[in-house]
Amino acid sequence: MSSRWTRLVLVLLIVISLQTTLFAEMRPFGVAAQLVLLFVVVSGSINGSTIGALTGLIAGLMYDFVLPTPVGLTSLALGLAGATAGLLVYFFREPTWWMRLITIGVVSLLGEVYYPLAQTVVGLDGWLQFRIIKVAIVVAVCNLVLSPIAIFVCRWTLTERKLSV
Amino acid sequence: MAVAQLTRRRAIILLVLTSIILITLDLQNSSAISGLRNIFSTVFRPVESTARVITRPISNGWHGIFDYNDVLDENDRLRERIAQQEGATIAAAASVRLAQELLALNGLPTLAGINAVTAQVIGDSPTNFSQTIEINQGNESGIRVGMPVLNAAGLIGKITKVFSDRSVVMLITDPDFALSVKVVNSPRQTTTTTIAKSNAAVPSPVVPVEPDASLDTETSSTTTTTTTTTIAGFTPSVTTLPAVPSGVSSITVPLASDLAVRETGVIEGRGPSRQPTVRFISNAVRFGDIQVGVPIVTAGGSRSLSPPDILIGKVARVVERLGSAGPVLEIEPVADLTNLSFLRVLLYQPITEKATP
Repeated sequence: MSSRWTRLVLVLLIVISLQTTLFAEMRPFGVAAQLVLLFVVVSGSINGSTIGALTGLIAGLMYDFVLPTPVGLTSLALGLAGATAGLLVYFFREPTWWMRLITIGVVSLLGEVYYPLAQTVVGLDGWLQFRIIKVAIVVAVCNLVLSPIAIFVCRWTLTERKLSV
Repeated sequence: MAVAQLTRRRAIILLVLTSIILITLDLQNSSAISGLRNIFSTVFRPVESTARVITRPISNGWHGIFDYNDVLDENDRLRERIAQQEGATIAAAASVRLAQELLALNGLPTLAGINAVTAQVIGDSPTNFSQTIEINQGNESGIRVGMPVLNAAGLIGKITKVFSDRSVVMLITDPDFALSVKVVNSPRQTTTTTIAKSNAAVPSPVVPVEPDASLDTETSSTTTTTTTTTIAGFTPSVTTLPAVPSGVSSITVPLASDLAVRETGVIEGRGPSRQPTVRFISNAVRFGDIQVGVPIVTAGGSRSLSPPDILIGKVARVVERLGSAGPVLEIEPVADLTNLSFLRVLLYQPITEKATP
């Protein structure tokens, strides 16, 4: 039980480091792809809303310590995104691969909007602009492109392994 | 299974509450949060550095593919601009030197007297919702929170977070950025007033002269009987001069309304896609109509985080408002904030921020 959460923290360290280095520089249409959000959304779409929310809260909390915004804000936004991803898949009995892809795209779009909304709630307003539409669409497309790798990594990270005696 | 589900739900509630508490503490600038950030930074730094080294070829390849033509175009533009500006630079440098000498002569503070640290930009903001960059100098170099950051063109932002060997700079386009500034409004027409001196102490008549005469600090021109002296900065509208025993002379002074008038306001960022604005400009008649293109400089003062007279930008648009509310000015920053490389952090703290011994 504990091993997958330890694995999650270690994998998240690598994901956040990629976000702050490679994906902060590679900006298609001037927008940074959100690898941490992708990881959270994928975990929610594969493992359900509870695991998605937990992954989002943990990933967000770690990411918060890197960002200049108040600590805890990304945690709440990503927790909500993870839970939303789990909830969308919940309505399908056996979701197919393309249903998961649609879920990842839609929730990436929503997740990118959650963050400026959370900023506005705590008084850091000024980010809810028309630009957010472009940002959300580009992030959703980037996440769709990167989702096959993310699904593989996420499955490996969050699989419960039974210890052999 | 049910026990695991319950445990997870409890963990979610615990993490949500923790997040809310952390937000509350961080918004109140708790030192505990800064400590936590430093601890995480210590753990995360080696991982990030490794990732940076490994991913550098990929990002270089990305920039090579997508930015190559832009770089070539920019190179051509810059060569052209350098050619245009080379001559002007020499004259400007001489003027700046002269101004600094004058300020030093009068005991006034200048930017030349403030120590600065040169830093290199090492990272952009990883999110799409903060306008920050990371530089490779921290509190080991004397950098503190709030210090102004410049590039060769002008002010680009201020320090918001400091670690031992790096700092985070909030750009002037970030919606959380605010700084008091001066709008240096210049008159539409430059005229000067010639005050003829006579033997009697009487109010002087007003005679407009050519605009060029006002630009000189002290120029002399021969009149029929006397010498005319132009003194910039001397601004009485009606001047009574003492009686002079012999001879008739006149002093040429600019009209009060013809001098550059400075009005303070507050510059606020509005995100990367919109220009920053200056608000709280008073609607005073003396200030007159603000013209597009007039410079915006930092206001300075004992409470301002920045020394005075650092160039920020120029007025791009004036939005008039009804009633007594002053206009809102849209500002075009002089610095290109999308392409920052080497920066200068002024080690400046206002008197109110300096720790008392």
